[in-house]
Amino acid sequence: MAAVFPIHYARELLRAFEIQPMEVWGPPGIGLSKGAARLQPYVCTIVQNALAFVESGNLDAVDLLLVPHACDSLQGLGSILTDFVKPRQPVLTLYMPRGQRDSDVDFLADELRALYHRLEAITGRAPSDRELMDAIRREEAADALLTELHRNRPNLPFTDEAFYRLVRSREYLPTEQFIEIAQQCRAGFQTRQPGRDVNPALRGIPLLLSGILPEPMSLFPALAEMGATVAADDLACCGRRLYPAGKSEEPFQRMAERLLGAAPDAMRGSPIQRRLDHLRELVQGSGARGVVFYDVKFCEPELFDLPLLRQGLSAAGIPSLALEVDLNDGLSQPMLNRLEAFLEMLK
Amino acid sequence: MSLWNELRYYGGTALGLSALRVARWQAESRGRSAVRQRESVLAPPLFISPRTKELIGRHYLKSRYVKPGQKVVWATSGAPIEFLKALDYYVLYPENHGAVCGTMRRAEELCSQAENAGYSRDLCSYARTDIGSVLSGQTPVGHLARPDLLLACTNICQTVLFWYRVLAQHFGVPLVLIDTPFIYTEVSPHDIAFVKRQIEEAIPVAEKVAGRTMEARRLEEVALLSREASQLWAEIIARGRHRPAPLSVFDQFIQMAPVVEMRGEAFTVDFYAAMLKEVELRIARGIGVVRNERKRLLWDNLPIWYRLRYLAEHLGLHGISIVASTYTNAWGELAERIDSRDPIEGMAQTYIYPILNRGAGDKLATMKRMVADFHLDGAILHSDRSCKPYSIGQMDQRERLMRECGIPALLLEADHNDPRAYTEEQVANRLDAFIEMMGV
Repeated sequence: MAAVFPIHYARELLRAFEIQPMEVWGPPGIGLSKGAARLQPYVCTIVQNALAFVESGNLDAVDLLLVPHACDSLQGLGSILTDFVKPRQPVLTLYMPRGQRDSDVDFLADELRALYHRLEAITGRAPSDRELMDAIRREEAADALLTELHRNRPNLPFTDEAFYRLVRSREYLPTEQFIEIAQQCRAGFQTRQPGRDVNPALRGIPLLLSGILPEPMSLFPALAEMGATVAADDLACCGRRLYPAGKSEEPFQRMAERLLGAAPDAMRGSPIQRRLDHLRELVQGSGARGVVFYDVKFCEPELFDLPLLRQGLSAAGIPSLALEVDLNDGLSQPMLNRLEAFLEMLK
Repeated sequence: MSLWNELRYYGGTALGLSALRVARWQAESRGRSAVRQRESVLAPPLFISPRTKELIGRHYLKSRYVKPGQKVVWATSGAPIEFLKALDYYVLYPENHGAVCGTMRRAEELCSQAENAGYSRDLCSYARTDIGSVLSGQTPVGHLARPDLLLACTNICQTVLFWYRVLAQHFGVPLVLIDTPFIYTEVSPHDIAFVKRQIEEAIPVAEKVAGRTMEARRLEEVALLSREASQLWAEIIARGRHRPAPLSVFDQFIQMAPVVEMRGEAFTVDFYAAMLKEVELRIARGIGVVRNERKRLLWDNLPIWYRLRYLAEHLGLHGISIVASTYTNAWGELAERIDSRDPIEGMAQTYIYPILNRGAGDKLATMKRMVADFHLDGAILHSDRSCKPYSIGQMDQRERLMRECGIPALLLEADHNDPRAYTEEQVANRLDAFIEMMGV
């Protein structure tokens, strides 16, 4: 089992080595004392909590740690783990390039090859190209289902909270199990009667949620109570990780194509205009009436884009609201008040 | 070129350059008399200082009246600019401009301009200063030429990419990215190949914007000049090993401006050759930057631009001289990697290695080497709220310096450009306790 930190990585590469990834997004609401001994308070709580989680022994059961490079803070986490914390498990890193050029695809393919050799040294296994391609196709199937679930969100008989618990189960469930569950859900919406409202829970004001992750998950019931629903998302842990199928028949190239082919993301260097266009498309496609930027405090990649994204949305007549959260705090009353006021405005 | 543009360019630059030269002569003359008259805990400024000021002034003046037809690029401080110089771009560095705003105490108002436009106060204060300046059109240097091209290299942080994406959207000009994979432990051949390929691919983009073709020989010349300036800079800061140290890091923070923003120029090489002579003269005469030097320290991270003088004097009062810095060292330590015979390969080999693109353990090793080489008695680690890649890891580095080198080390909370994240009283208290701990 591997503990994998945010955001982008090739799940199929780990699975080809029969390693089950378990993603560590924070996790929220844990004691910070161990992380605070090594990190300044101006580092985001995703990284603070992750380090505290490692240092508290909560990841002792895993066999390796994988830290993909996403921002300066996650870079620092990888560096501290490698040089100072030195957990008993090997710490592997993966540099995600910041462009979508051919050179980026080729570099990422090389980077994945290097990771392959490290995994080979650790596990003593050497999956063949055919085994790698099998793993890739399995993940492509799971990602296709995940994309379908997102697209058919209005037809799924789930509350927002249940829906996001389902899609986020991809962070820890073995792919085969996820596929099974996702297929059952798909069968549900494929057999529904046309014109019949299967999801009264989604009658509220439709919103688009952007940010890194929807924590605490009590956000969803709070939104429902205020009469709102999440019609689509641009969350780093969800909507920005709907990886398309690759084209190449060479496994490493194909994994790289997939990772760089997902929705625009500041952490992969996408131009702000592309992000803005993507948000507008999501709003249009989902019928969302407003956008909520739900950002983790101190998250530079998100905070840099915020003013121009909001300005661009406003120019297109799409209202937006920016909220900052700390993973260790619950939903604060002032934040709920701001959400409520925003929804009032949308009504 | 229209007559008006010609008049504006030649008139503006001629007048401006003359004014700067006169200001330099006046400052040099004042400096000579100050040597004899002033009683201070610090030695008088280097004689070369008025020339530094003139060079910086000239740099911004020329950007104000940029040569008609010449293209302007805004680049990150650690970017491989040699190919742009070879294409006759005028290179401006928003970080350096940010530092100028910081030392001139203009950063706070510019940061506020950016914050009023929605940019969070948690973002890098250089970025906020720059964005505030772009949005308001205000700058203490008069005017910054609009960029025709942007070049962001991730070898100093990822922040620059996020920041330059904002500039690209604002100006609507091409953004060239040189992405340098972070070196956690060791560099791989595919990392170097990736950087080299990006530089190779950037050249045609820059040529297209510049409307000219790069000459290989010109690139070799520029690379050689970059190498020579960096070598001289490394020589100068190595002179800090002498007791008493002839110059402090507070001098270095100011004197490093040309090697950062005027690399690849013959006058930069001449400047550092002259500076090295002056530093050697100080050594020969036994002049220390702090009178009665008693303790010698290391500085880690960016300077606190708006409090340089205060920190130098506060420490100088106790005979403490900060003689070495990981920050100023970064502009000299890679000099030997710059290869003028194979400039593109050399750029890839050089620009992937800055201290900020290496792991926290490697930075600790650099600090330990400096402690030994410069015979240091302690270290101040500036925990810079605005520079996460430099600051993350400092808590472990401090603990290791104390344990493994047996020296006291202080973590000082501040921000390199935003004075609102700096509390003088707290800093003074912490410094005083640290000084006491060193037995001064």
